[in-house]
Amino acid sequence: MRLLHLSDLHLGFRQYQRQTPLGINQREADVAQAFARAVDRILELAPDLIVIGGDVFHTVRPTNTAILHAFRQFGRLVHGLPETPIVIAAGNHDMPRSTESACILRLFEQGFAPRADGASPILVADRAPRRLQFPRLGVSVLAVPDLPPGSVELTPDPEARYNVLVLHGEVQGVLPAAGGDDRAAAQIPVAEVTRAGWDYVALGHYHVTTRVADHVWYAGSLDYTSTNPWGELREERVAGRAGKGMIERDLRTGVQVVHPLAPTRPLLDLPAVDGSGRTAGELDAAIASAVAAVPGGIDGAILRLVLRDVPRHVARELDHAALREVQRRALHFHLDVRRPESVRREATGGAPGRRPTLTDALREALAARALPADVPREALVALGLRYLEDAERDEGDRLVPGGEG
Amino acid sequence: MTASVLGRVVATERRPNTPHEFHFWTALDAPVGVGTIVRVESTRPVNGVLPSVYGVVTEGFGYTDLQTPLHDVLGADGVPGSSASAPTERTEIRLYTAAVLRQVPEEPLQPVPIGTVHLATEADVQAALRMDTYVQGSDARGIPVGAYRSGGTDAAVHLDADFLLGPEAAHLAISGVSGLATKTSAVQWLLASIFTHLPARKGKVAAVCFNVKGPDLCFIDRPATRLDPADRALYDALGVPAEPFAQVRYFAPWHARGTHLATLRTHDALADSVTPLTWGLRETLQYAEVLLSREDIDAKADALIDFIKERVVDQRFEDKLLEGAHEVRAFADLERWFRELLQGMEAANQEQWRTHHIATIRKVRNRLGNISTRCKGLVTDDGTVSDLPFGAFEDRAVYVVDVAQLEEDAQDLVFARIISQLREHLEKRALGVEQVVVFVDELNKYAPSDGADTYVRQMLLDIAERGRYLGLVLFGAQQFRSQVHRRVVGNSGTQLFGRMDADELATPGYQTLAPATKARLATLEKGQLMVRHPHFGQPIFVRFPRPAVLTGREGVEQFPPAEVPTLEMAVTKTLRRLDASITVGQVQDILALAGDDEEAILRARNVTLLKRPDNVLAFFSKQLRKRVAPEVVGGRGPAPLRAPATDDEYG
Ligand SMILES: Nc1ncnc2c1ncn2[C@@H]1O[C@H](COP(=O)(O)OP(=O)(O)O)[C@@H](O)[C@H]1O
Ligand SMILES: [Mg+2]
Repeated sequence: MRLLHLSDLHLGFRQYQRQTPLGINQREADVAQAFARAVDRILELAPDLIVIGGDVFHTVRPTNTAILHAFRQFGRLVHGLPETPIVIAAGNHDMPRSTESACILRLFEQGFAPRADGASPILVADRAPRRLQFPRLGVSVLAVPDLPPGSVELTPDPEARYNVLVLHGEVQGVLPAAGGDDRAAAQIPVAEVTRAGWDYVALGHYHVTTRVADHVWYAGSLDYTSTNPWGELREERVAGRAGKGMIERDLRTGVQVVHPLAPTRPLLDLPAVDGSGRTAGELDAAIASAVAAVPGGIDGAILRLVLRDVPRHVARELDHAALREVQRRALHFHLDVRRPESVRREATGGAPGRRPTLTDALREALAARALPADVPREALVALGLRYLEDAERDEGDRLVPGGEG
Repeated sequence: MTASVLGRVVATERRPNTPHEFHFWTALDAPVGVGTIVRVESTRPVNGVLPSVYGVVTEGFGYTDLQTPLHDVLGADGVPGSSASAPTERTEIRLYTAAVLRQVPEEPLQPVPIGTVHLATEADVQAALRMDTYVQGSDARGIPVGAYRSGGTDAAVHLDADFLLGPEAAHLAISGVSGLATKTSAVQWLLASIFTHLPARKGKVAAVCFNVKGPDLCFIDRPATRLDPADRALYDALGVPAEPFAQVRYFAPWHARGTHLATLRTHDALADSVTPLTWGLRETLQYAEVLLSREDIDAKADALIDFIKERVVDQRFEDKLLEGAHEVRAFADLERWFRELLQGMEAANQEQWRTHHIATIRKVRNRLGNISTRCKGLVTDDGTVSDLPFGAFEDRAVYVVDVAQLEEDAQDLVFARIISQLREHLEKRALGVEQVVVFVDELNKYAPSDGADTYVRQMLLDIAERGRYLGLVLFGAQQFRSQVHRRVVGNSGTQLFGRMDADELATPGYQTLAPATKARLATLEKGQLMVRHPHFGQPIFVRFPRPAVLTGREGVEQFPPAEVPTLEMAVTKTLRRLDASITVGQVQDILALAGDDEEAILRARNVTLLKRPDNVLAFFSKQLRKRVAPEVVGGRGPAPLRAPATDDEYG
């Protein structure tokens, strides 16, 4: 009994200005291709059951092109694997928030001819959760779309041989903390998905393939489809993952394989260049060599290069013609020039009438703060400053997968 | 025998004395009136004993030797004011008729002898009413009902607990016009008196009071705002503390909307003290008869209802006409069961199912389905039960069941079930107390003398007749005794009368009363009652104090009912009873889970209230989770044609 788990297709996702010869956003075409490749691979793997953790489309109202493409790809699965049911739990990107709009995913449940046993090849849970029993496979699948955490009783089916939970949502403590807003209410406690009785829990929402427990996984997306791909990339690095994939699991043996999917195009965060004390010319050279070092060349790639500690007047003197050339060849080149800390401090704090830097303000506040007797002040100040430093370094690298971008 | 002589017994051929009635005259200024208790002393011994006779004045006459009124007119020259010209003051006679209360010795029973008449002393009153047998001594069991007061004598009048609460006799009926007869007040006072005076060896006693009108009994755990010195003096004299009931538990069903309880005791400061009264399918079906009028339900329907009670409810039920196994625990389940059964019968083209005809099934389905609608707020669709603490009744506690806002049907259901439960528990000696006083105000509505023979009336008759052996005691109040079923009032050992309506007094039930007694009843002041009790040879007039509790009217002024709350507030308020720290914000967050499913929210609240979990919010929010029913995919064999999808995106 082999199950295949994929998620976060985000069909119809668009990014950057580049278009295909037909006038379609290049990234949209990439994402479509990523799904088509995934389908190729699934057809080879021929699993007994396919579960999709949501966000099949990037928007509630995808374009006709996106719908037709999805329909064709699902059609390939339906015809190529006539015995394999496909279960989809709608994600936050698929689910209309208002009742007057219906979920497009229903098209896939109703659009294919029923199988010999009378059942639809594709089964979709959108507004309400569904518990689908497949007597032939001995599997019961509880498919839970993106609903408020805690609104559904997440219990396995006592009558089933195998129990699978497919759920779209954010499990507490798995995603890197973003923002200070109180998100606890929107998160699912880990205990809810690790409860005994599930043979596999297929999660969707987070774009990085992530293990929550031995049998509880986020499959991750099929391509870099968040607003901030650099953050997604960084989190993959932190998690020790390289690229995207799908999960195959044998429910009987518990053996599990992550099948990697080749990227549709390179996404590269080049090593940062330190600009302190360097002239514009020196920096031009550093940029050129960084670009030249890209394996396989930069044509069609998505690139970012961070320049640290570059004062504004130096940045202005960089060779813009050369940069434009890089931008033309790459699909997207983002030169991220950051001004030096000292300049920032001088510009914004210090002398009377000027506001202190965040670092100074934090140091002062912590020095003045009333503390319990057993908390050493120096340690607290040091810790506070370290957090601030971390935060500043990560600035802009954060991944917010829930955003509608 | 030292008491001064009040009058002398007289007997003439025209007006002879009998063993049960005598006449006496008094001085003009004698402190006698209708209701006064007197003692006759004879100087002629019978069998060597000087007899004493006790009587109560029932009628009075006054006259002079004037032959006709004309003589007086002439004597005054036709001018009423010219008394000066009257030749002599005419001798005026005061003649009284008294009914015998008791003769000592009792044998031989002879006409009342000629003798001197004395005002009864306190001891005389005791003897006259035979209270000496149960007020003092090792078997004392007197329950003060009020004070007898006449001609300077003040005596406590006690009822015999064995005749008020059983086993010798039981029950009490109180009649009189609304607002003046002080019926509700008298029962409250008497309950306080019972709670104070019933000796411990008689066992534990509790009261179940049905609040049938407005806020009448909603504040009986609160002190009275107004007790006169005269009231306090009565409390002292009768040995009852002038305090509200120490232990009161209030019960009320939910309002039909489900957000708040259907009672006037909803002020924020008090709301915590009312427990919801809700029953599920099983509790209700047991008393289905109450709600199904007799004409409506024939033997066939009865048989089906019995079948459902015994074979369907609360168990797994399978049948080849049904799609799958059913577990009927609530009205909603029962409705599903009926639907599938009827669909199955139609599909199979079957008129009969297990001896039940399809028409009977349809009829029973309609009637039962109606119940949860008609009794909304009381009967829950989901089977949650919140009930009186049968089995754990506490001594000297009052259980007030507020049915004032319920529909008549639902009121009947409440009576039927609570009283039946009380009886069943008492029969098994498992109620928690040995005796329960059930107070039903406006008894004429539930046990009327005419009209259909309802389940509730049957049940009240049954208690009236058998309750005294069980310790199930009925205190009924009604405006008109004549409108209550004969066997209910007839079985009341004790009868109280407040101010009576003259027309009512003219009905046959009051024939035995002398005209003067009737006249007094028709003008009785608030706080006065006429008492009939098995030990008393004649009705006795007493005075009782105002109940030491907050009246309903003042109660709603002091504690105005809370405004109808929003759903969030309603839920917050109820949950705060279990955990005072719960905020509206927290509740709002949880309610967001259920969307706009108000019923699910109320259901979750009810279950939480009933289960009293440690972590109230967590438990509550867990109740709101959707339970996902399984659907079998495939397995139905090849479908030759694809059925069009049933749900339409456009509605
Ligand atoms: N013992 C008493 N003495 C004087 N007034 C009383 C006494 N008991 C009650 N009342 C007053 O009589 C009024 C009617 O009493 P209530 O018991 O409600 O009568 P009913 O039940 O017969 O309608 C109330 O306003 C109450 O204050
Ligand atoms: Mg009353």
